[in-house]
Amino acid sequence: MNAPSPTRAFLAARARRGWPDLLAAAACGAATAGATTLLLGLSGWFLAGAALAGAGGPLAVQAFNYLLPSAGFRALAILRTGGRYGERLLGHRAAFGALAALRPALFAGLAASPPEQALRLSSGEASARMVQDVNATETMFVRRSAPWAAAAGAGAAAAAIAPASGWAALVFLAGLGLQLAVSEALAGRMTDGPARQTQQAAGRLKGALNTYMAAAAELRCFGLTDAAVEALMTHDAALGGAMIRARDAEALLGLTQSAISAVTLVLVAALTAHGGLALAALAVLAALAGQEGVLGLLRAAEQNSAYAEAVRRLDPLLEAPPAASAPPTSGSRLEIDGVALEPGDRLSVTGVSGVGKTRTLEALVGLCPPAAGRIRIDGTPLEDRPPGWARPLFAFAPQDCRLLTGTVAENLRLGRPDANDETLWEALADARLDTRVRQLSQGLATWIGDGGDQLSGGERRRLSLARAYLRDAPWLLLDEPTEGLDRAVEADLVAALDRRLARTGQGAVIVSHRPAPITLCNRSLPMEPRA
Amino acid sequence: MTASDTRADRRFLAAAAREARTPAAALTLLTLAAVALTAGFAFCLTRALTGDVSPPVLAGLAASLMGRALTGWASSRLAARHARRTKANLRRAALGVALARRRGDAASLGEITAMLVDEIEAMDGYFSQFLPAQRDARIAPLVIAGAVALASPVAAVVLLLTLVPFVALMAMAGVASGAAARRQFEALARISGLFVDRVRALPVILTFQAEARETARVAAAAEAAGARTMAVLRVAFISTAALEFVSALAIALVAVYAGFSLLGLLPFRPPETLDFPRAFFALTLAPEFYAASRRLAGAYHEKQLGEAAAARLRSLLDRAETPREAPAIAGTAADVRLDAVTLRFGDVVVGPIDAVFASNSVTAIVGPTGSGKTSLLTALLGLTAMDSGAVSMGGLDMAEAGGFAGLAAWAGQSPAFLPGSILDNLMAAAPGVTRESALAMADHVGLTAALERRRQGGDTALDERGSGLSGGERRRLALARALLKPAPLLLLDEPTADLDPLAEAEITALIRQAAAGRTVVVATHSESLAAAADQIVRLA
Repeated sequence: MNAPSPTRAFLAARARRGWPDLLAAAACGAATAGATTLLLGLSGWFLAGAALAGAGGPLAVQAFNYLLPSAGFRALAILRTGGRYGERLLGHRAAFGALAALRPALFAGLAASPPEQALRLSSGEASARMVQDVNATETMFVRRSAPWAAAAGAGAAAAAIAPASGWAALVFLAGLGLQLAVSEALAGRMTDGPARQTQQAAGRLKGALNTYMAAAAELRCFGLTDAAVEALMTHDAALGGAMIRARDAEALLGLTQSAISAVTLVLVAALTAHGGLALAALAVLAALAGQEGVLGLLRAAEQNSAYAEAVRRLDPLLEAPPAASAPPTSGSRLEIDGVALEPGDRLSVTGVSGVGKTRTLEALVGLCPPAAGRIRIDGTPLEDRPPGWARPLFAFAPQDCRLLTGTVAENLRLGRPDANDETLWEALADARLDTRVRQLSQGLATWIGDGGDQLSGGERRRLSLARAYLRDAPWLLLDEPTEGLDRAVEADLVAALDRRLARTGQGAVIVSHRPAPITLCNRSLPMEPRA
Repeated sequence: MTASDTRADRRFLAAAAREARTPAAALTLLTLAAVALTAGFAFCLTRALTGDVSPPVLAGLAASLMGRALTGWASSRLAARHARRTKANLRRAALGVALARRRGDAASLGEITAMLVDEIEAMDGYFSQFLPAQRDARIAPLVIAGAVALASPVAAVVLLLTLVPFVALMAMAGVASGAAARRQFEALARISGLFVDRVRALPVILTFQAEARETARVAAAAEAAGARTMAVLRVAFISTAALEFVSALAIALVAVYAGFSLLGLLPFRPPETLDFPRAFFALTLAPEFYAASRRLAGAYHEKQLGEAAAARLRSLLDRAETPREAPAIAGTAADVRLDAVTLRFGDVVVGPIDAVFASNSVTAIVGPTGSGKTSLLTALLGLTAMDSGAVSMGGLDMAEAGGFAGLAAWAGQSPAFLPGSILDNLMAAAPGVTRESALAMADHVGLTAALERRRQGGDTALDERGSGLSGGERRRLALARALLKPAPLLLLDEPTADLDPLAEAEITALIRQAAAGRTVVVATHSESLAAAADQIVRLA
């Protein structure tokens, strides 16, 4: 580890804040493991002692102190029970305390990180991956007591074995060490490949499934539904195969662990057998039970490589965000590809697909880096400013019109958090969506589903427009605002937009393939493909 | 989520496991073998301890331990394969439902994809870990008690008696924590959902400068879920502690009984005479009595995941009514009549629509976005539920026929293909389409140049999406496939969207030609295509 990992540092800082719980959890874990080991060991010792005393006649029996072991059983049983409860509860309490802060910190870090990186992570599969990474860190946090429990279990066992044979104690500890080393070394190597293949196979299955579901009508007409199911099942077979390889690798690792543990136990038994019945009984049973206390640490070691991967992916998000600089003033002048715009100007951006119209808008709001010299704000090239610096100037309705999972009102208030319902209705009316929203069972409070998928494509687009209308910014950036709308609605919407812009005095940059929105503009930027 | 729902989820999972042929006999045999090997280990350990450290005894120790490890390895592999079969069966059933999904169903496409891929994978641990652990936990303790009884019947009875407090404690803890644990699991799923949604909406959040507000929202949700979870865990961990307690109790009681029996200090006359080897054998096996139950407790999370996934998958499978396979009737073109048809999805009602789609002509359905054009087309196939009204075609009532899919051909705006060659896909349009007729049709729709450009021509392989073909080529291929089916009803959904004017004119001409001997219905936004239609049905 050359540079300190921000994720590990964050978790360590949270761990320091939750130290009473973590300390108590570790103490409880150690008590449980120690008690588990000693209970079985003590039982063995007690049996052997009782057998020897019983064989020695009534006097020996009277001399045998059975009160102490009996009290020991009671104490160890209570310690083991209470310890386990305490370890689980306190460990989880510490984890929740620490991790309630992790998600918001990651989210804030993600929002503050360079746009290309943030957007790469916010795409479908990557975001699912990030949730898994957060879960992996949670699991490891709960396991923070594992080393203490393992140390207590192993220590108690070694202490119980040593009186019979010091060598046996050493062999026992060496065996545990070997198990740990094997876990650390092999787990990642054996399971990472299949895990990655599983993920890829799942992605392919999802892609094919989406295609066929969108074409359900056509499959049905040609009687191809069953053939499509078969085609999808070949992807399922690939996924199943990758999963089996992952499980088999885990099973093989488990087998390796058991083999090491078996050799250890046989050696301990062979080395202690001559140390006297009572001590030997204590030793072998303690060794048997002592293996158990280490299990938690072994599990943790097996997950170590996955955890390190997770931390590595999360690290960039927790790096310190760049310092903020003074925001632009609202009367700023804008210059795109040499076209200078005064406040209130309306610019149309046209050109064939792929020429970079959308990218221009995204560069303005800092979702992608601006090309050198193409965009100036008050004369300063945008690339000289921190990413996202110009955001206060713009209200953006993007082409893919992503909505938040939530209600209509929640989505609209993203544009203006303190807006009252009347203002929201007004914006909906200007986006020609008010009638539709009035039809919804709960109006503004209607839940629009995951990413707004209860709405049709055209409705999502208009909700995204209304959201941009609400934002108090000097420029509206509209990317294909009327795509997918029929001519009548389009004309109506464009007229409403015209009135709205006149009323608010906002400027606009409009990207469109269609002529109607372009008619609103007093300036134009026809983009040409670059050689 | 009520208790009866949970029971239904478990029954669903159990039925799914059975259907995939649980290797019950093999797993049970492996459990029995593991117990037998454990007893063998205890026996050899006792021998070693009482002074017989001979090579056979040490070899026995090693062999029994290795044998037990091998049984665990074999069960893992068997269970993983059973889990794979179970998941494949569930997926096959769910795929059938997903592809027969009606428009306007509550579950979105995204949800269904997640359900079919992620949720079914989330059940893996239930089948590969929880169920085998549960089987073990039911069988192993009794067999262990049986093995202990070989040495000391009284110790075996003592072990069995600890089941009384165990069952009582578990029942208490289970009642208290079952429902609560489920709520907690759902709360965690929700904060995870909120987090991922906000991450995905990040571009929007950034441009609206709502980072701080949304971070606070994520923080508040995590905080609230954490607080609620602790309240639940206080109860839930009682069962963990109870298991620990009875495990300790089992060992301590066997030790105390055996020890006092060896000392001759028991307050009652035991029906057996213990010696050290028998006592030690019983004691070595005592921790194994609850070992399987503790492994089962370790698989608790897998159980929760599996049941939660089952609940959601069940709702998908239950909702489904598999559409009847429409009979492929070789009919001649006939008018399609719509009488006061209304379609409903969610809050939206389309119609009532009264219309006649005349035979041997092209009918264009136009209307604003979201007015139900595509839904009306899919309704003719029985893929959109009709709220009221009736549809008939040449005297055949659609409700009786279960949709006109057998009589119809379809080309949509994002066509799907089967893995195979271009010609394979054309020949799949209907039985009896030959390679020659497929090639002729490809030529008819203007695909010849496109085929000649490709090295393998008509044998060029396609994936589901038809990757490698241009948008226009995909559209033509879909049209060719639709024309190859000798179906009297041709349904076209936005066949010219995103095409340049020249291609649009060509496709429009093909559609006009196709009207001879067919009833053609086209849903479109395109004014030029609508202008070429014989009649227009306008949806409000």
